[in-house]
Amino acid sequence: MNAPADAPAAPAASRARETLIELADVTRTYVMADTPHTVLAGVTLDIAAGEFAAIMGPSGSGKSTLLHILGLLDRPTSGSYRLGGRDTGKLDDDALSRLRNQAIGFVFQSFYLVPYATALDNVLLPGLYSDTPGAALRRRGEALLAQVGLSAQAGHKPSQLSGGQQQRVALARALVNDPDLILADEPTGQLDSATSAEIMGLLATVNREAGKTVIVVTHDQATAAYARRQILVHDGRIAKS
Amino acid sequence: MTAASRSPRRALRILWRIQRMALLALLAHKARSAFVIAAVAMGVAALTVIVASVDGARRKALEIVDFFGPDAVMVLGGDIENRPVGQRIYTLTWADARAVARSLPGAYAVLPMRSIRQITLKYDNRNHESPVVVGATENYARAWNWPLAEGRDLSEEDVARGAKVALIGDEPARQLFGDASPLGRTIMVKNLPVQIVGRLAYRGLSGGGSDVTIDDRIIMPISTLTQRFNLDRKYFRGLRIKFHDPDLIDTHKDNLRALLRHLHHLGPTDNDDFTIISASEILKFLTAFTGGLVAFLGITAGVAIVVGGFVLANLMFLSVSERKAEIGLRKAVGASGAALTAQFLSEALYLTLAGSLAGVALGVALGESLSRLGLLQLRLSPKVFVLSLAAAVVIALVFGLRPARKAAAMDPIEALRGGDD
Ligand SMILES: Nc1ncnc2c1ncn2[C@@H]1O[C@H](COP(=O)(O)OP(=O)(O)OP(=O)(O)O)[C@@H](O)[C@H]1O
Ligand SMILES: [Mg+2]
Repeated sequence: MNAPADAPAAPAASRARETLIELADVTRTYVMADTPHTVLAGVTLDIAAGEFAAIMGPSGSGKSTLLHILGLLDRPTSGSYRLGGRDTGKLDDDALSRLRNQAIGFVFQSFYLVPYATALDNVLLPGLYSDTPGAALRRRGEALLAQVGLSAQAGHKPSQLSGGQQQRVALARALVNDPDLILADEPTGQLDSATSAEIMGLLATVNREAGKTVIVVTHDQATAAYARRQILVHDGRIAKS
Repeated sequence: MTAASRSPRRALRILWRIQRMALLALLAHKARSAFVIAAVAMGVAALTVIVASVDGARRKALEIVDFFGPDAVMVLGGDIENRPVGQRIYTLTWADARAVARSLPGAYAVLPMRSIRQITLKYDNRNHESPVVVGATENYARAWNWPLAEGRDLSEEDVARGAKVALIGDEPARQLFGDASPLGRTIMVKNLPVQIVGRLAYRGLSGGGSDVTIDDRIIMPISTLTQRFNLDRKYFRGLRIKFHDPDLIDTHKDNLRALLRHLHHLGPTDNDDFTIISASEILKFLTAFTGGLVAFLGITAGVAIVVGGFVLANLMFLSVSERKAEIGLRKAVGASGAALTAQFLSEALYLTLAGSLAGVALGVALGESLSRLGLLQLRLSPKVFVLSLAAAVVIALVFGLRPARKAAAMDPIEALRGGDD
């Protein structure tokens, strides 16, 4: 809460106690056929740097909507969202793009790999829009592929990879710009339990060893068990955190 | 300040980095890319042919004018422009020619001429069918600015004697003699033995799209032609007049017209019974002809290019809606709207550039066969390439911008969900 306004890149040791995410009374309302639908009805939530949190709740409760707001893909209808001490409501679209690029990595249920690009090119994709020099970027991409155990598949297209392999490529992609925050929306939703365990193990490692803040939306108790904190969403409100 | 100075370089680096992806995307959709390339190629091929043929026509017009000479006029019997029914075309007489030579100010050469066709030339056992057989007075080659490859021009004496001599054009010379020199040889013009005294240099003008070339002719003294081929002795078909000062050509024409009207006893209400042609008339005619060609081909090329543009736009819209997930993902990982616009415009530009290169190749091939068929005279220049590349850029920007902007404006969540936009 008392984090200095411009300190997203403090050393890992002190960062662990700092607040990375501050949501204050965030609402999100969709207007459909002239009728407003309130999906988030006033969410107040702090998440500290280095946490591993699971967001759970029934279908339609607003978990994905909340994650999209956390990921700067969507803006609250009202309320404020401070990321690393910065009020994101004041940023324009280009600034949000840059912040997503630098500070946030995404993992989605359906992987979303670019079908015509190789595994390595997919990992490098966020780096294309960053300031990292090409050679360093490529080295980092190769190292991340090795870390998720896919060095041998670097040149494969997504269609030549299993679901679990594709999600590992997506995880490497989420890490390529070395963001502070990893957001995953049902990352194991399309995987069998053994493969899910692999992916969650990798996310846990990323959290523990690299000190990344990880937030996972999931239906699955086994998946949620990897997180040290469970946040329960019900009808657009935090029922338990 | 640092952000401001860094940002154009940053934009350039991103632009550079997405090019490989743009090319990969095109390769991943080969059939679609090929379709766009083909559509653009059609338009650019049409453009290539039009530019080349307009240049060709212009050059040909200038060659013809140059050949005709800016200091000369040609008088033909009959009113070519109005062509009154039943009017005689043999209206120019030797007396006219003499009167013009004697009293037209500024004229230094007056050359009556007539010509016949449907004559066969023979040498040994070789034949050459229907060249133009021209009857002319002395110094034909000089009067037409036509260099002699070898031999001499027709002389005053040739004309006075009705000598059985001739200048031979390049075409019959090659047909009858191949590479050998025709000088001093005697050929049969129909049944008349004629000695070749000179060979005209190759001129290479085609006669207005037909396959008759200007080189397909022999020139004999007009007296010989008239006597030996039983032509009317009083009249001839045309008169070529050369003047000292090309700048005064319009005045000369007026004087000549007044003189001929006087000689032909025409009243103030009578039409001319002759036609005076100068280089500017020829140029006017050729320009009008070229103008029609430009309009026709220009519309064709314009339509073809717009069609190419619409094909590009439609297939890009298709691509944008098919690649929603990719677009959403790119936005999620930090691609700005400008970066996405740039990627789709780059893809469009690669397609139109490829189409433009293919189109130039196609246009050149098309132009070659058209000029081989004698339908058009084409002249290819670097201008063709520059114009085609410009067309490619314009098509990509004009027709690619809306689909590219559509991609850039997508909401990442909607795009990732694959929902409508
Ligand atoms: N763009 C939108 N327009 C209108 N309503 C929307 C929109 N996006 C989401 N909603 C609605 O908001 C509610 C919450 O959606 P959300 O996707 O956040 O739920 P969720 O908790 O992630 O559900 P699930 O577990 O099924 O993924 C749903 O009722 C959904 O229909
Ligand atoms: Mg959801």
